[in-house]
Amino acid sequence: MTEFFIRRTLQSVLVLFLITLVTFGLIHAAPGGPFQMMLAPGLSPEAMKVQAHNMGLDQPLPMQYLHWLGNLLQGDLGYTFKNHLPIGQVIWPTVENTFVLMGVAWLLTLIIAIPWGIYNSTKEYSLSDQTASFISYIGFAMPTFWFGIILQQIFSIKLDWLPLADMYTMDKEGQLGDLMMHLILPVSVLTLSFLAAYVKYSRSSMMEVLDKDYIRTARAKGVREGKVIYKHALRNALIPVITIVALDLPLLVAGAALTESVFNWPGMGRLFVQMAVAREYSVLMAITLLTAVIVIVGNLIADLLYAVVDPRVQLGKRGGRSA
Amino acid sequence: MAEKLLEIENLTAGFLTVGGTVKATEHVSLSLDKGQTVCLVGESGSGKSVTSLAIMRLIDFNGGAILEGSIKFQGEDLAKRSQDDMIRIRGNKIAMIFQDPMSSLNPVYTVGDQIAESIVLHQRKSKKEARKMAVDMLRLVGIPAPEIRARQYPHELSGGMCQRVVIAIALACDPVLLIADEPTTALDVTVQAQILDLLRSLQKELGMSILLITHDMGVAAEMADRIAVMYAGIIVEEGSVSEIFSHPSHPYTVGLLKSVPGLEGSRGDELYTIRGNIPGLSQLPVGCRFHPRCPYAKDICREKSPPSFTVGEEHQASCWMYMEDGGAAAWQQNESEQR
Amino acid sequence: MSEANMQTSAIIPPVDVQAVKPLKRPPGPWRTAWSKFRRNPYAMSGLVVLLVFVFCGAFAPWLTKYDPAKIDLMFANLKAGTDGHLLGTDEVGRDIFARLLYSARISLTVGFAVAAGSVIIGTLIGSISGYFGGFIDTCFMRLVDVMNSIPLLFLNILVLAIFGTEFRYMISVLILTSWMSVARLVRGTFLQLREMQYVEAARAIGVSNFGIIFRHLLRNASFPIIVNATLMVGAAILSESALSYLGLGIKAPDTSWGLMLTNAREFMLIDPMQSVYPGVCILLVVLAVNFIGDGIQDSLNPRQKMSERRIDRWRKSFLKSKI
Repeated sequence: MTEFFIRRTLQSVLVLFLITLVTFGLIHAAPGGPFQMMLAPGLSPEAMKVQAHNMGLDQPLPMQYLHWLGNLLQGDLGYTFKNHLPIGQVIWPTVENTFVLMGVAWLLTLIIAIPWGIYNSTKEYSLSDQTASFISYIGFAMPTFWFGIILQQIFSIKLDWLPLADMYTMDKEGQLGDLMMHLILPVSVLTLSFLAAYVKYSRSSMMEVLDKDYIRTARAKGVREGKVIYKHALRNALIPVITIVALDLPLLVAGAALTESVFNWPGMGRLFVQMAVAREYSVLMAITLLTAVIVIVGNLIADLLYAVVDPRVQLGKRGGRSA
Repeated sequence: MAEKLLEIENLTAGFLTVGGTVKATEHVSLSLDKGQTVCLVGESGSGKSVTSLAIMRLIDFNGGAILEGSIKFQGEDLAKRSQDDMIRIRGNKIAMIFQDPMSSLNPVYTVGDQIAESIVLHQRKSKKEARKMAVDMLRLVGIPAPEIRARQYPHELSGGMCQRVVIAIALACDPVLLIADEPTTALDVTVQAQILDLLRSLQKELGMSILLITHDMGVAAEMADRIAVMYAGIIVEEGSVSEIFSHPSHPYTVGLLKSVPGLEGSRGDELYTIRGNIPGLSQLPVGCRFHPRCPYAKDICREKSPPSFTVGEEHQASCWMYMEDGGAAAWQQNESEQR
Repeated sequence: MSEANMQTSAIIPPVDVQAVKPLKRPPGPWRTAWSKFRRNPYAMSGLVVLLVFVFCGAFAPWLTKYDPAKIDLMFANLKAGTDGHLLGTDEVGRDIFARLLYSARISLTVGFAVAAGSVIIGTLIGSISGYFGGFIDTCFMRLVDVMNSIPLLFLNILVLAIFGTEFRYMISVLILTSWMSVARLVRGTFLQLREMQYVEAARAIGVSNFGIIFRHLLRNASFPIIVNATLMVGAAILSESALSYLGLGIKAPDTSWGLMLTNAREFMLIDPMQSVYPGVCILLVVLAVNFIGDGIQDSLNPRQKMSERRIDRWRKSFLKSKI
């Protein structure tokens, strides 16, 4: 257990280190150098040199990288170029907002999708089953942001039932009811775009399990059919679903970038897009790292859950399913 | 005469598919006395398993159904019972063990829990008592250190151990009938013998009847009081074990017996095989189902399916050979000359 | 497997009975696949829709007399059908129908270019990794880990923000973020086949590594690669539209469905239909491509008779509604 934990953590640290290298490398591969545009235009070449020196830009790249990494390890993410705000201060509030949106949407997806998929596995070809596969085809093919726009047109503009965008109405900040109203549309978009896939996963996983010999054994024991499903089949069927849920974590953060932009939700995804347009490279680097950490931690949790659900998995013996 | 425990009459079971119903067994009649062991022998695809699933009414879960006939068990017709009634019978009065022990156990529960579940379901016992009884059951089926094993998961046990656990689950509620569907096929030869021994001694101890399904004539010889041979969904021959082995009467049974590799034969001897394959259920031949593979097929075999003829004491065979005595005698003589 | 199951599967093949009929020349695998594909209504309608879009994209200048980039404020926001503007004009007087046609060009180019590029890179990396194994394999698989730990949309945005939003950069970055699935697939097949007898035999008679990879191993991986590539076309089209929508993809005077949605969104109140057309186009193309991919998968995989099963399903539900 501990050995597994240590090994996985080391592996994660290695991946994170590689990610810092990749992002740092990418940014410094930008034509003309990353910080060119940050220097005030119209400066004399001498003045530019002075400023570059102050920012440490005249040092060789490896030194710059080590410097940046050192600061990062001390929790110093640096400052934004434009307003010279500490990056941490810019990012943290958005992280919280994204988590609100993401968490609600994700929980809702799982709460709806897993029971639905299980229901469909026992009622093959039923109306419910076909509805799910119809939604899945549409869900896979539809651009989420477009779906958001359409919802806005219908429910905000035409019917005027729900707020068009933002997290709170002005001067109602912090009110739960208001937040809920603002959550409905973006959460619907996120949920509907993920729902179909999860229904399909849990359905096919459940169907596979229901075909297994031990299900027949359970029935031969005289176990009620309902109990066969929720006691004998469900735990086995959830094992692959957990994997897929964990591997989809990055998708959810990224999906939030689009949805957040459409609904003007002050989250990390929208911040990333804004900062990309504004070319605030340090912020981009910080967010990329942060999401990578979230994803890696998510995978780690999934592995632990996996071991809890499936006794066949011995934590020490698994080399990481992602490899 | 002994008391009849199970009486299957005219059982036709099949599957509902898009193309219509497909009958996997047709007009199967079979009976089982108390304390007796009957073997259902045949190749895979001959409908043995379907028959056993029909008795348990588990066939309903495989998209199948009982189309005709009755299954009288202790006087009541299981074919007419609802699934709600069946869950009280399954695992309690009738228990079943399956072919592949490794996959027959749920990987996410300990073996002790899986045995205890059956006890809790059918007996008024608390979970704690049931766990204790589960350990006793493990001891009964000959598992060493049962207290430790009860807390282990199936993947931690060997195949033979798993089959013992499966047997323990089946016997946990003291069934009067045990249906064993190829219980030794997936196991090593030495383990096979152990499991068969175990089944025999437990039968003696608990006094249950066994319906043993196998494709292995050797297993049947070792275990059975009576044997029923199935081919393509119908029972082609039925009789006591001594009758079947001393006077095999259906050409298919003869073929089966000849194709068992014996230890006495010399190495150069070619193994006997019945030519051809068992037909698919959707392409059953007209007439006797065995005629395309039968070395003695006559014109009538290609046209009409044979009824069952009595060929000895409590010994029936469905073959046109026995329509008039002359034919039978001629054929059997021919057989003995070949030997 | 239980005998009962085997028997159900034994019931299905009237098809096999027909196959026994003597043929003049046994059809090759591709021909069989095509004849199977042709009988799949979903795949065929997908193919027709895709061909229509390809046609529209290829012959856009002949299908409309308007220039999609021509701004004419005199004719802004015309209703559909006025003055030969089939779907009207947008807020700066550009013909919407013309823009849709020219957008098809961009989207399909992106889709196919990205799929082709990813297949090439993915196959290369996957086969090297799977064939040689060891250290090379570990390195590549860590790289895959890193790529999968960053939300790919973020990575796309990051690269485009750094390098600029030119068309070629967009295609390259989309390729760089989508080769992983192909690589994994090829590697998996290779690992499976590497130890097979015939590969050993080829090695023993002195076939070069290169020859083994191309002649023996890749052929086995080609079917799943094709299916994967088809589905990748749809994914790339969706990514392109998302990036363009966020202002990091196609820029005016070029046009793309995603970009059209950005514009349309600003004028939601005036003309809601403007945001419907491009979204429907994206949905249709991606749906078509996905159906084709599904169809190919069904027709190439002899073990799964998905299309037949789907037809069965429809037939069954039809029966159900009758009874």
